[in-house]
Amino acid sequence: MSSPDVMPTPSAGSARHRVTFATSRTLAYLSVLELGKVWERTLRRGRVPLKYSQGFNPRPRMHFAAPLPVGCGCGADLLDLSLDEPRTSQALSDAIAGVLPQNLIVLDVTAVDIHAKSLSELLQEAEYSVWLQQVGEAELAETVAAFLEKDEILMPKRGRKYRGRFYDLRTLVKSLTLDPATPSPWLGLRMRVTARPGATGRPDELLRALGLADRPRRTTRTRLILESEEAAAMATGGED
Amino acid sequence: MSADTTHPISEIGAIQGSGSLPATGPVAWERIEALLHRVIKPGRYVGGEYNSVQKAWDATDLHICLAFPDLYDLGMSNFALMILYDVLNRQPDLLAHRTYLPAPDMIAAMREAGLPLYALESYQPVSTFDILAISTAYEQLYTNSLELMDLAGIPLRSANRDVTAPLVIGGGHATFNPEPIADFFDVFVIGEAEDVILELVGTFQRTRQTSRDEQLRALAQIPGLYVPQFYTPAYAVGGGVLDLTVADPSLPTTIEKRLMPTLPATPVAQLVPNISTVHNRAIIEIHRGCTRGCRFCQAGAITRPIRERPVDEIVASAEAVVQQTGYEELALLSLSSADYTGIDTLIRGLIDQFEGRHVSISLPSLRIDSFSVELAEMLSGGRHSGFTFAPEAGSDAMRRRINKDISTEALLSVAEEVFMRGWRTIKLYFMIGLPAETDEDMEAIIDLSQEVRRIGNRIGGRKTEVHVSVSTFVPKPDTVFQWEPLVDEETVERRQQILKQGIRGRGLKLSWNAYPVTKLEALLTRGDRRLGALVERAWRLGARFDAWDEWCDPDAWSQAIAELPSEELRAAFPSAQALLDHQLYRRRQPDERLPWDHLQTGVEKRFLVRDYRRSLSGELLTDCREECHACGILQHYRDLQTEEWRCPVLT
Repeated sequence: MSSPDVMPTPSAGSARHRVTFATSRTLAYLSVLELGKVWERTLRRGRVPLKYSQGFNPRPRMHFAAPLPVGCGCGADLLDLSLDEPRTSQALSDAIAGVLPQNLIVLDVTAVDIHAKSLSELLQEAEYSVWLQQVGEAELAETVAAFLEKDEILMPKRGRKYRGRFYDLRTLVKSLTLDPATPSPWLGLRMRVTARPGATGRPDELLRALGLADRPRRTTRTRLILESEEAAAMATGGED
Repeated sequence: MSADTTHPISEIGAIQGSGSLPATGPVAWERIEALLHRVIKPGRYVGGEYNSVQKAWDATDLHICLAFPDLYDLGMSNFALMILYDVLNRQPDLLAHRTYLPAPDMIAAMREAGLPLYALESYQPVSTFDILAISTAYEQLYTNSLELMDLAGIPLRSANRDVTAPLVIGGGHATFNPEPIADFFDVFVIGEAEDVILELVGTFQRTRQTSRDEQLRALAQIPGLYVPQFYTPAYAVGGGVLDLTVADPSLPTTIEKRLMPTLPATPVAQLVPNISTVHNRAIIEIHRGCTRGCRFCQAGAITRPIRERPVDEIVASAEAVVQQTGYEELALLSLSSADYTGIDTLIRGLIDQFEGRHVSISLPSLRIDSFSVELAEMLSGGRHSGFTFAPEAGSDAMRRRINKDISTEALLSVAEEVFMRGWRTIKLYFMIGLPAETDEDMEAIIDLSQEVRRIGNRIGGRKTEVHVSVSTFVPKPDTVFQWEPLVDEETVERRQQILKQGIRGRGLKLSWNAYPVTKLEALLTRGDRRLGALVERAWRLGARFDAWDEWCDPDAWSQAIAELPSEELRAAFPSAQALLDHQLYRRRQPDERLPWDHLQTGVEKRFLVRDYRRSLSGELLTDCREECHACGILQHYRDLQTEEWRCPVLT
């Protein structure tokens, strides 16, 4: 439970911050580890006193809400940073403004209570936009309708240790619609999927289920939906 | 030539299409993007590295594409290209961009979609650049160079290119014998390129309105530039190079390598890849050259003299390079780190400097001695993963023959120290097929490996390991052993078998090179210009990525060799075996004209012959910082000598 003496104050700043950022194009093709390195190097260039874990192999205290799949950009992803010394959000934002790589945009930096729940605990759902080529509008509409009609869509689990086991993709997809606002020559899909441990809907899996895995695409995670902060506080309070 | 209609790549933060672009401009992002879901590691093909150059294409009238003809992952770690990128882009009136050879999956996708090879900064097709500079650092890049030119839509042979094609230049260690690829390149840079590349660019600019032939004649006048088409070898019947005809009396008959009197400034705004590559680190070259005089080592022979960067310059660059890249690791590059004067003071200083900033320092190429172990300990930060020794040979006698001055006794005592300090694994690098080697030398390698293993077991227990890596010796041009034959396949397989029998059991691992890979390297490093037809034929049969186990195609090479794919080859050699015997398996005579004799390292042949004789009698040659052995460098380059040189003062 958070107490008043560790709450961030505007003058002293905070030792934990939540960054909202967007990536596209050249930065959409990284693994989550590689995107982590991009951030770590950016922060070192900005002389931000990032906190590291102890031990022989110190790791920076940086946590994404959820890994971005390779080939996926983002419109408003979240990253929590822990610092060795408190900084104001403005100071942190200024420090990295001039040292960001191409196609990484910082949308917001907000101080967070150091005892607040982690992003991965708060994350509930994610929204994706997938733009496709080499597919007809009618074909896409039909495929989507057929998908939504089904009660269950079993997909093989990823990874060797799960070989032969399946999960139900359909229950992970909260909504799936065509996006009429997509610019030509693309056709767009919008999807909202669950994003909790053990229940993560992935856009590439959805494309596979739709039979569209081989089509050229541009994928963007447009939004992350967190458990609301009040709910989080109440839940924590309730446990106490 | 110039590309007249161009659009700089727009920085796209939000999601938006950029529409279609004229055919003469860059490859549209959408066309690249449309392939990326089909390939492994698509981040190789998109650019966007931090510190990549942002000059506008239209604002500069000379465009140079620097190419490393292998995967991005390797090419991004090549420091020579990083230096040239820096040197060239400092010039306001030109720009240098980069390209690499895509992996086979992307090559196939690009060919299918009709996409030409493009540069990563601008997506400009490589064929629209004025100059294409390809790294010819080692022989396994030769077929890849052809693949790269072909994917760019550039005619492969110099003779088939005019001013509408980029000027294709090569440079790197392998250019000390570039003859097997001489037909495909317009110009080779012999030696260090930092200065001469700017002279090349200047002359190129001045001669742009002339024909390619006139342009090449002008370039051939520049010291250190080799234009192979003006040098025509003649061959003895059934034999080697007899003579070299120079096209124009104004051209030099030999080309002497270029060298930098002082080391060039460290590039501090080094490119930072977004994806993980082979080495993810900032680099400072602390010295260039090597004074150890190992008789098999080509790098040591061709990079003389030794030049050391001053300590204060390294310290200042270290701060700047970490600040400008954000890298978590800084590597101090050289051929023999522990030989840098005051290396321990330097390392202590750098550790203090980066205290608390989570930047580690790394030091490749350590020697086998206590001092090196201490250095490694300082840098380990408490982690002890693997420690590498390169004794190269098993016995004291063989090590004396190759001038690797370390005794078995000393090596074992250093191994003991390494295990005492907590390292769990020692890697041992050996070569087989060395001159005058016998099967007994294998026993020496086995005994040494087993002894190190026993020491590990005694000190660190059963968790310790010894990894033995055995490569096959290739006699390289410009080394003391350049006249030696390549060891034959039967002998290598027998000796590898002996090693496999002797180096096994708990805590011992053995790895070795497949003979076809060795044979190919030897053929391409020792061959003459007649092999150009062979390189092209092998490539047409599918050979590329010759250094990659999963992609190389030894059968394509075997077939190309069997075909003797040119009139010239068929006239010279009655059979494929005759060709191999001539190029690989005979001992060459000291007075024989070698295919690379006209390209000079500054180390004189008579020094190499003298040292070869010392090798035969097992005589060591001391480190040449202590006494000059008159290799020829000081005689040839005396005028360039500066305080950075570590050659002894001659009286």
